[in-house]
Amino acid sequence: MNSVVRGSFDARYAITAAIGLFFAVVIIYPLSLVIAKSFSSDSGLSLAHYARVFSDAANLKALWNSVWVSVLSTIMCVAAGALLAMLVVRTDIPAKSFLRLLLLLPYGIPPFIGAIAWAQLFGPAGYVTKLYMSATGAGSAPWNVYSPSGVVLVLSIYQLPVVFITVSGALGRIDTSLEEAARMSGASPFRTLLDVTLPLVTPAIAAGGLLAFVGSICNFGIPALLGFRARFFVLTTKIYSALSIPDMPVAAAMSVILALVSGVALILQRRLERKQHRYAVISGKSVRPQTMRLGPARVPLFVVVIAAALFAGVVPIASMILTSFIKYWGAPLTFKSMTLDHYKYVLRIPIAARAFRNSLFLGVCTATITMTAGAFVSYMCIRAKFAAARVLDFLGTIPYAVPHTMIAIAMILAWSRPPVVLYGTIWVLLAAYLVTYMPFSIRTTNATLQQVHISLEEAARMSGARWSDTVRDIVLPLIKPGLVSGWVLVFMPAFRELTMSVLLWSQGAETLGVAIYNMQDAGYSQIAAALSTVVLLIIFAGNALVRRLSRGEIGF
Amino acid sequence: MADRLEGIRVLKLTKRFGSYAAVDGVTFTVRKNEFFSLLGPSGCGKTTTLRCIAGLEQPTFGEVYVGGRLVSSVEKGVMVPPERRGIGMVFQNYAVWPHMTVEQNIVYPLKIARASKARIRSTLSNIVDLLKLSGLEKRYPAELSGGQQQRVALGRALAMDPEVMLLDEPLSNLDAKLREQMRFELKDLQRKTGIAILYVTHDQVEAMAMSDRVAVMNSGMIVQEGTPYEIYKSPADKFVADFIGTMNFLPCEVLEWRDGLATLRLRNGSVVRINSPEVGRGTYSFAVRPEDLLLNREEGVECQVDVAVFLGNVVDYRVRLGDDVLRVQTSADNRFEPGEGARLAVQRGVLFP
Repeated sequence: MNSVVRGSFDARYAITAAIGLFFAVVIIYPLSLVIAKSFSSDSGLSLAHYARVFSDAANLKALWNSVWVSVLSTIMCVAAGALLAMLVVRTDIPAKSFLRLLLLLPYGIPPFIGAIAWAQLFGPAGYVTKLYMSATGAGSAPWNVYSPSGVVLVLSIYQLPVVFITVSGALGRIDTSLEEAARMSGASPFRTLLDVTLPLVTPAIAAGGLLAFVGSICNFGIPALLGFRARFFVLTTKIYSALSIPDMPVAAAMSVILALVSGVALILQRRLERKQHRYAVISGKSVRPQTMRLGPARVPLFVVVIAAALFAGVVPIASMILTSFIKYWGAPLTFKSMTLDHYKYVLRIPIAARAFRNSLFLGVCTATITMTAGAFVSYMCIRAKFAAARVLDFLGTIPYAVPHTMIAIAMILAWSRPPVVLYGTIWVLLAAYLVTYMPFSIRTTNATLQQVHISLEEAARMSGARWSDTVRDIVLPLIKPGLVSGWVLVFMPAFRELTMSVLLWSQGAETLGVAIYNMQDAGYSQIAAALSTVVLLIIFAGNALVRRLSRGEIGF
Repeated sequence: MADRLEGIRVLKLTKRFGSYAAVDGVTFTVRKNEFFSLLGPSGCGKTTTLRCIAGLEQPTFGEVYVGGRLVSSVEKGVMVPPERRGIGMVFQNYAVWPHMTVEQNIVYPLKIARASKARIRSTLSNIVDLLKLSGLEKRYPAELSGGQQQRVALGRALAMDPEVMLLDEPLSNLDAKLREQMRFELKDLQRKTGIAILYVTHDQVEAMAMSDRVAVMNSGMIVQEGTPYEIYKSPADKFVADFIGTMNFLPCEVLEWRDGLATLRLRNGSVVRINSPEVGRGTYSFAVRPEDLLLNREEGVECQVDVAVFLGNVVDYRVRLGDDVLRVQTSADNRFEPGEGARLAVQRGVLFP
């Protein structure tokens, strides 16, 4: 192989080494500091900090809260997500693609913005609460969104699309002749569902559930915005408190525990996904999925599903938009109470402009750097089949299993002491974002590159092109659409990131997430809503762009 | 209507997808003990026909009888669901359930029918013996070869103890050697069990090798039905002639027909006489199989050998006759070299308008 690529041998080495160094400094060094910190004491290695975590009743409570909240929200969204997937994919329910679109909508709403919207709807002075009170004459509503059950409910709504996507994808890939074979063997449609369809998608349901579990247990925005008021803490919010004391070692130890739990869940999830893959259609024959007739239940079920979908996705967005236009919180909902003042205010205050600029800068830099590095890693790994690049691929994907709170702690530990002091500037946020979105970029570039058949490159080499010519003339043009949509898909979550920003921000380096969070926290609901609406608008525009670029294959 | 000798009867079966008729008024009967093939190119409607019989597809028009029982009739509003038709079916991609063992796959129909434990045991052991699957009962499909999965699918269909079995291109995913072996085994199985088999395939060799009778389908209609020999020797139209086996088509002009003998002139001017049913004068397409042409040095039309491919038992020639190129297969005893002049004797052929 070396003789084939002789002319480019040095370039490949240099690039691999450079990216390797970059990963070592930006990803591995900070993360290992967290682990080291959690195990170190004045006298060397020790479990003292873990002992402190487990001996403090409040910490134990937070750990327990994290577990039960995540388990409960996972159960809820698995039940609902699997059922909805079955209904949408395998029955003759009307307006399927529209329902699918609606059900995926919560996926596009940043969880903390969702939490704010739910507070607007179901809080003590929320729209729904007041509607209920005026309808029943009761002095208060029988619910409280600022509570553990509020956290569970909102978490499950935001993880629902994950389960829905996983299960409906698996249902769509099942070979329908497996089900037809059951019918031919004498099984009724219902029996077929129980004996064949359900067992075949069980791994997908479990895998989706595990993803939802990890998403819930690592989430910060929802338990922060809905739990703090009720003095209800989970691991992520407890880590936030430990950092503000600051008690670094305990924060580190708790984040390692969190990483361990989510890591184990993700390993299990990967195994289940592989199992599911074995159940997928093997033949290239196109399969029209057999749909079950719902009969008289068709319309009522459609109404239920569409109500659930509207409730989960459209209602919160509508509430956010409504709040951003209303003169003051609690004003009667008439046309006279509407105003554009909050938007004008957002345009005027420096913090909003700064946050916008910062988030834009961070999003653009993160997406550009991670996609470039990802493209090189994938190329070296998949195309050049460069053994050392496999290590890069592995190193670059490690952060996938690391909770964002742990990444934030890693940044504080690594970049707040000389020789390199980034903490207190926007650069520490960039460092954190690079770590977080690197795995995502590598996976995107891997997938993109795998779609370009190697013979296209070999043909260029046979035509006399050097490696660099081949990359420039053949590879880059072919993977460009994939790279662009990957770029947008990194930009969007980076643009509205909250968890790490809220732990790492400093005066002058506020992000949009931080600005919205702080405004909401300080009681400026309408300003927060106006800014959130702008963010949502940008996210949905970005999504539309990605969908167009990928012809509807990527995005929600 | 019920006929004790009848396996499947299909009457004027039509299936439209929108305005496109995938199956267009198909009628045929598969007798008991018969191995019947639906043969045609992909998209000819053969699989849709099969799925209508199975009940996996709802016909637009027409009737289906299985074992003399009406199972599907649009006119009479009858549509027996697939699970109550008692038909064994083998799918193209086997459709062996990946989450069940070989044994669980095979006995599933019996479980559904709530058969006794003893009956399940004896049926399983019979099927396992018949299909040479013993020792594999506890394995999962992922641990089996394609041929073994195929047998499991067959075993599952047999466990229904059906009078009728539908096979949808069951051999198309196997490699050539295994395919040939399975051909014999399927035929053997059908003889042993006496089940009526409706076999769908696009592979004419497969259909010829196994079937008692074949129906050739094209664009949703049956164009010819008969024994493999009849279809091969007297194709009903140009499509069948072209689809079954190898056929040379030569433009020609019929000069006269008298006493079962047609005189025709080929494009290069040479005149040939063949046995033929009565035809009028005019231009025709003269269809002749490579083995019905005899390449020799003594008699027939003058021609020139372009290419000669030695195949062992025969030699496959490309022979030039004026502007026409023909395929000729002649025994290897008498060999010609490319470039050599020769004579071509026509032993038989068919005229199509």
